[in-house]
Amino acid sequence: MIKVENVTKKYGGYVAVKDVSFKIKDGEIVGFLGPNGAGKTTTMNMITGFIEPSSGSIEVEGYDISTKPRKAKKSIGYMPETTPMYQDLTPREFISYVAELKGVPRKKRKEEVQKILKEVNVEDVQNKLIRNLSRGYKQRVSLAGALVGNPKVLILDEPTVGLDPKQVIQFRNLIKELGKEHTVILSSHILSEISQICEKVIIINKGKIVAIDTPSNLEGKVKEENIFLVTIEDPENKIKEVVKQMKRAKGVQLMKELADGTKQYGITSINDADIRKEIFETFAREGITIFELKQSETTLEEAFINLIDSDKIENLNKEEKKEESKEKKNEVKQEIKKVDNDNNSKKSKKKKNKGGKK
Amino acid sequence: MWAIIKKEVKSYFYSPVGYIFIGAFLLLSSVFFNMFLKNQGIVEYTGLFMYGAELLTFSIAFLTMGMFATERKNGTEMLLFTSSKSMTSIVLGKFLAALVVIVVTEILSLLYYAIFCYFAGGLIEVVPTLVMLGGFLLLSLVYISFGGFMSSLTENQIISAIATVVLLVATWFLPNITEVLVMLSPIYAFQNFLNGVVSISDTIVLLSQFLLFTLLTITVLQRRRNLK
Repeated sequence: MIKVENVTKKYGGYVAVKDVSFKIKDGEIVGFLGPNGAGKTTTMNMITGFIEPSSGSIEVEGYDISTKPRKAKKSIGYMPETTPMYQDLTPREFISYVAELKGVPRKKRKEEVQKILKEVNVEDVQNKLIRNLSRGYKQRVSLAGALVGNPKVLILDEPTVGLDPKQVIQFRNLIKELGKEHTVILSSHILSEISQICEKVIIINKGKIVAIDTPSNLEGKVKEENIFLVTIEDPENKIKEVVKQMKRAKGVQLMKELADGTKQYGITSINDADIRKEIFETFAREGITIFELKQSETTLEEAFINLIDSDKIENLNKEEKKEESKEKKNEVKQEIKKVDNDNNSKKSKKKKNKGGKK
Repeated sequence: MWAIIKKEVKSYFYSPVGYIFIGAFLLLSSVFFNMFLKNQGIVEYTGLFMYGAELLTFSIAFLTMGMFATERKNGTEMLLFTSSKSMTSIVLGKFLAALVVIVVTEILSLLYYAIFCYFAGGLIEVVPTLVMLGGFLLLSLVYISFGGFMSSLTENQIISAIATVVLLVATWFLPNITEVLVMLSPIYAFQNFLNGVVSISDTIVLLSQFLLFTLLTITVLQRRRNLK
């Protein structure tokens, strides 16, 4: 269990993470999503105790990372984005050193190291120096470092960056497997990865949390209408009339013309109804050949872009409001000045008059 | 702490660093040995360490310059600081590992002592020799903690090395400025040990200097976590 409460990290005047709060239950796989520089790594570094938050509190497995760091850190396995490792050690030496650092008892150490070397599949290079390993192997050794000592919480910062497609798939399966026994926090900017692996997504932008939800809910939020994509051969060009006949169809629009002479249309339905059957039957009756028929899916990608954009729009609105209020203030100020000037000129006139009288 | 000492000692001897340090130290000691014998016709084992202390002032940076600087540069400090080891045990572990290299050097230097004993026909001046070796270890601890402190301030090994050597050499001349500053010069505190005298006040001076720089190193590393 991880509890992050009102955590803020400031660097001088720059706020990297702003008032972030969330909870992660035992055994959850949570994706941390956000554009570059959003504050993902900073937040993860704070959870692992590598850096200290400016304010707020972080609890890992019931222990506060600032006041009880040793107990909290014992339950965390961290795989940093940069996969820092001692280049002059072999994977076996490196992992047994990390095991020692984490306090794995001497008797169990050898067995544990062997088990983990096997688990991340680096047995064949275990006695090569780390500096000579390929990126994929280094990544796996770094993951092994996080796994050693069987910590309850795994924090993986962009674990699949730089891997080839096959390795990526292996890695994802491994993480899914790990998620059965561990609480996993995973950061990535590859959205398909998050939607495949994670049960919950935290979207962060400019240091603030924009959304916390399941991937499917997030996708659902963005989805406005049910659109059916249909690729057809329609020599007589009568699709618009045909669609008008259909009771549950709202409208149709041309999406694209394909090279083989077929066209793809998007048909929207009334009340989000599933009208695939109706489309199929009607089109067949009217002599329109269907090459492909599918329901369009909104992806996490769209959800992400939408959320980030809406965040931007909100910020823009705020800025506009600020500017407006500034303008208003300025106007008020100018009015006050005017009044003041008027008063002053009146006063000075009076003075002059007085002087004249004297 | 044991895990860190073990790993650090290993990396001193997996890389050429340990061998170069010990080799250079012993080679120059041999040169002194030979020089004294030829020029003055007299040479003492403890006398060698008078020059040894000066040699150490120049060479200690070789052991300490990368202590925290390289960890910071390569990002491996992340592994250390997110492990459940306390900052104190990390810092002391690294310092004691460097001391192990010094102990190895002292043991190898006993070869000179063996030569003296051979010609004297038995063990000579056992207690003063042990006192001197102990004092040399204390002096080394102060130098190591100072070099480690310099290494914690930067991620550039060269800067840390130059700062260590320059400032340590500067401490030789502190007593020339005013008598009071003798307290701040580790090499002066070592003088009595050279003569085989255990001086409580000198021991306290050296130990408190070691503690001071250890605490400063820990503070710097802790503080950087807040700034990072």
